Amino acid sequence: MALFAVVQAAFLLTLLSFRTYQSEVLSEPLPWTPESLEVSINSAQQCLYLQWRVHNLTHHQELKMVFQIEISRIETSNVIWVENYSIPVTWNQVLHWSWESKLPLECVTHFVRIRSLVADASIPEPRFWSNWSSWEEVDAQKSLGQDPLFVFPKDKLVEEGSNVTICYVSRSPESNISCAMEDVPIHGKRLSPNVSVFILNDVRFIRETGTNIYCLNPSNMSGIILYVSKVLEEPKDFSCETQDLKSLNCTWDPGHDTTLRHQSSQRYTLFESFSGKTKLCEHKKWCHWQVAPDSQETYNLTLTAENQLRRRSVSILFNLTHRVHPMKPFNVFLKSISATNATMTWKVHPVGNYSTLLCQVALHGEGKVIQQHNVSVKVKSQYFLSELEPVTEYVTRVRCAAANHFWKWSEWIGQTFTTLEAAPSEAPDVWRNVKSVLGSHIVTLFWRPLSKSHAHGKILFYNVVIENLDKPSSVKLLSIPAPANGTELTLDQCSYQIHVTANNSVGTSPASIIVISRDPGNKNVEEGRIQGTEDGFSLSWKPQSGDVIGYVVDWYPQDPRCQLQWKNLDPNTTSTVIRSDAFRPGIRYNFRIYEISTERIAYLLEKKTGYAQELAPSENPQVAVSNLTSHSFSLSWKDYSTDSQSSFIQGYHVYLKPKEEQCHPGFEKVVLSDDSVCCQYKIDNPEQKTFVVENLQPESFYEFLVTPYTSVGEGPHDAFTKVTIPDEYSHVLIRIILPMIFCLLLLMVLCYLTSQWMKEKCYPDIPDPYKSSVLSLIKYKENHHPTIMNVNDCVPDAIEVVNKLEGSKIQFLGARKSLTEMEFTKPAYLYLLPTENYSGPGPCICFENFTYNQAASDSGSCGHVPVLLKTPPSQLALLTSPENLLKTLEQNYVNSSGGSPAGETSLNYVSQLASHMSGDKDSLPTNPPGPALCSEYRTQMAVSLGLASPSPSENSSLSSVTLLDQGEPRR
Amino acid sequence: MRAQLPRRVLLSLVLRLLFLKPVVTGSCSGDDQELLKQLQRQTDFMQDTSRLLDPYMHAQGLDVPGLKEHCQEHPGVFPRENALHGLSRRGFLQTLNAKLGHVLHRLTILQQDLPKVQLTVKRYIYGIRNNIYCLAQLLPGSSETAEPTQAGTEDSPPPPPASDTFQRKLQGCQFLRGYHRFMHSVGQVFHKWRESPSRSRRHSPHRALRKGAYRMQPSMRGKRLMPRGQLPQ
Repeated sequence: MALFAVVQAAFLLTLLSFRTYQSEVLSEPLPWTPESLEVSINSAQQCLYLQWRVHNLTHHQELKMVFQIEISRIETSNVIWVENYSIPVTWNQVLHWSWESKLPLECVTHFVRIRSLVADASIPEPRFWSNWSSWEEVDAQKSLGQDPLFVFPKDKLVEEGSNVTICYVSRSPESNISCAMEDVPIHGKRLSPNVSVFILNDVRFIRETGTNIYCLNPSNMSGIILYVSKVLEEPKDFSCETQDLKSLNCTWDPGHDTTLRHQSSQRYTLFESFSGKTKLCEHKKWCHWQVAPDSQETYNLTLTAENQLRRRSVSILFNLTHRVHPMKPFNVFLKSISATNATMTWKVHPVGNYSTLLCQVALHGEGKVIQQHNVSVKVKSQYFLSELEPVTEYVTRVRCAAANHFWKWSEWIGQTFTTLEAAPSEAPDVWRNVKSVLGSHIVTLFWRPLSKSHAHGKILFYNVVIENLDKPSSVKLLSIPAPANGTELTLDQCSYQIHVTANNSVGTSPASIIVISRDPGNKNVEEGRIQGTEDGFSLSWKPQSGDVIGYVVDWYPQDPRCQLQWKNLDPNTTSTVIRSDAFRPGIRYNFRIYEISTERIAYLLEKKTGYAQELAPSENPQVAVSNLTSHSFSLSWKDYSTDSQSSFIQGYHVYLKPKEEQCHPGFEKVVLSDDSVCCQYKIDNPEQKTFVVENLQPESFYEFLVTPYTSVGEGPHDAFTKVTIPDEYSHVLIRIILPMIFCLLLLMVLCYLTSQWMKEKCYPDIPDPYKSSVLSLIKYKENHHPTIMNVNDCVPDAIEVVNKLEGSKIQFLGARKSLTEMEFTKPAYLYLLPTENYSGPGPCICFENFTYNQAASDSGSCGHVPVLLKTPPSQLALLTSPENLLKTLEQNYVNSSGGSPAGETSLNYVSQLASHMSGDKDSLPTNPPGPALCSEYRTQMAVSLGLASPSPSENSSLSSVTLLDQGEPRR
Repeated sequence: MRAQLPRRVLLSLVLRLLFLKPVVTGSCSGDDQELLKQLQRQTDFMQDTSRLLDPYMHAQGLDVPGLKEHCQEHPGVFPRENALHGLSRRGFLQTLNAKLGHVLHRLTILQQDLPKVQLTVKRYIYGIRNNIYCLAQLLPGSSETAEPTQAGTEDSPPPPPASDTFQRKLQGCQFLRGYHRFMHSVGQVFHKWRESPSRSRRHSPHRALRKGAYRMQPSMRGKRLMPRGQLPQ
């Protein structure tokens, strides 16, 4: 037991002594401990830079060492980074190490410490870490200014898609600081009362001037610019080639441009590994590389794209002679151009000694490649182009490439040329239409213009040679200038052969021959109907004679303004489909099928007519109503043409709006599209264009409509026509009353004429002395010439025409103007004309119309008596005085009629001495007539009031007429 | 001097292109009203924010809520309008000329941010300065005493250029807003000058202006303009 205690005590002492030794060894510093640690900040790159030394190394001693670096944030215990940094260390070496912080270094305080370990093989194990250096504090906030608010990092450049951490630092702990990126608020995590951190994930490029991120409180704002660039891409399609073996032109597709404002842009460099040469490219898409004069054949070029964030490279290895891209040829000419041939010449740029090139000649016509040929070329070459079309524009082009090692064709170079004209190669396609008129044939020739490929130039005119087959010597030539496409000939009943040729400036085409036979052929071909489809009109026929050279189908629309069209068919053809873009729905087309005999005579086989698409009639016929009776009327639309409609007319529907529930016999009740009910009568015959509507009620009206119907529908149900049915007896009355009225009128006229005759014979208004029965008695008794006082024996006195009017409303018949409305500016005079042989004392006596010119009468003179006339003084004196005049008038006044009915215009007896006087008719008898100078009647003057209505101009005539209103008070 | 000549010719062409009556190669218009009219038009043009400020704000991303409110004129950079009205004519023209020189310098700095518009605006400013020069020629030198070359000396000095890009953005925006406001104020002053020619006649009678102009012209022919910013006393 005691032994055990002694042993135990000795063990403990030994252990204690060992621990003491060990602690002494470990506490002694290692000879290669890192010292002089210095920590600095690069704010732009957010990096911590460490530098230190390792002492106690001897000269030329190099030890491989490991340095362990710890970085803490905010406090030393918060270690955020531990890294072992291995590096061989030499004597007096300053060691560097950097660390990039994701959090801006200005945001919080960082702490750094370091220790070392010798990892060199020359130092035997065991190896121990040295002691840690003391913590180095890195507080970037100390160097900030006095601004109240900061945001970090400043002007950071990142790639698109990166995650960025930012923070704000406030001088005072504030809680009402808000931050935003552009105009979008961002939210972060508070690290301390003064610091908040924001993590922006997957930032995107917004603009070249950078993304604005800012924080603000009510009084301050601070912000940063975050430059987000596109990710630098690897150059694509990097390629180099040479045109002359002297320089290389390298091109590539750079992809996105990562350039930002205030930031250096991406740059490109070329590096050739064999020669070791580098070139900084000036452009972003291409670069020139000078080929070495030592005839280096193989090149290994590396293109490096680089910006501040990334670097990308791409390499190519090639043989220079395999990358020859020649320049385009030059001096391209065309010579010896004819209608069908031309020769092309050109030159090529030499490519060093490697001068054999392969050139490709291409001939283009109408936008397509017609010919293509390869030619081996040294310097100069030519190619003969053949099989060309006359008068055709061609483009010929040439390009070249290296003959031995094809790389790329050069650019094309070309020339345009046009071949010369040639004679037309084809006969014009000719057809005809023949009409027989009065013993002659009217032949209308049609021909189609030659296609460009057959015309071989501009057609100038067409020659038409008419050869009379019955009289071989009779040939007629017509020259018709282009662009006419037909002509009309009038031929007699002989057979003719017609040659038509087209001519250009070079020559004449082959002739197209047709024969017009004296026999017009089969005229009795019946016209059949044909139905068109979307594909056209399908026609078929039966050949009549086996010896034909072909068939012709011609057609024309119903519209005569449209021209005849035709189609030539082979002799073995018995059907065809006529297609044309000109076919329109609703237009009737007439087709004729001819066979062409070996004598080139056309015989009509069949006639067809049809529509490409039938359309319902758009108009109804104009219907005339006739034979209107009390029970029926007739409808007629004979002017309606069934051939010129938009479909085949199958008949007509006569619609009658019913007056009763039941329709008339023959009509059936139908419901129209507007839901109205009508009676319909169907006429099946399209040529029946009359209809009689019967069984109508008298004294009523009916509405009817006539519309055609076809296979595709009937005409519009637009306006019904109204017909009023007369009563039953009106026509009878008209037939009786009208003749009666006529007879009555005829009887009245006869009575009137008889009465006039009787009046003339028995009691005329003014007896004609020559016609007096007294004369016949005298003649009978004395049997000598009856003597009547000669007018020439009498001094003419006066003539008065008395107009007896009722009231002042009597008007002139002609002028339709009342007398009271008539104003005579001059006094009305009644001239007494001397008889032809009158030799009395004065030629004329005139009376002034005192009715209209009292003032003149007061003057006591007659100013209208011609001065040269010598009026008997006695008469003048008698007449110039109103009193005398009145007396004279009273003495001679004769009122033959004793007055006219009121309002009646009449011709009155006129006395030679009668004169107009003022005063009432009733007063006349108070003054007995005085001695008359002449008691004999003179030639009577009958004056119609209406016809003799005086006009102001007529006042000055020699036979003025004074008209008096009998009923008007005298003045 | 030879180097100056093409510049003047270029300036003349630019002004002709701008339909302005040119003041070229020492040949100024003697019509002060016409010069005032042209200056009025030019200031009307330049006070329009769509010429400079709006493109700048759009290019810098400052035309968003939260940022555009901070694009306000910094006091002290440009004189206020009442200060301009208080200046004599010569003093006003000198101040305007000097401020336009500063604007030209600042536009050169902002050239990278306004590559398209700043050249046109610079041409206009050259045109304004030439008309200022010609108008100053019509002022009688004896009637005016020495004037301060800067107006609004009571204002605080302009802020120093900011160290970070964000602040420089804002400062550029504030500067341009102040410039447009300043040109508006200048236009108001010219408008007042045009409306009150009596003062102009009192201080510089029209006849005297013309005499001065005519008297100046022979000596100006064949000579270049005075250096920019240097107005006659």
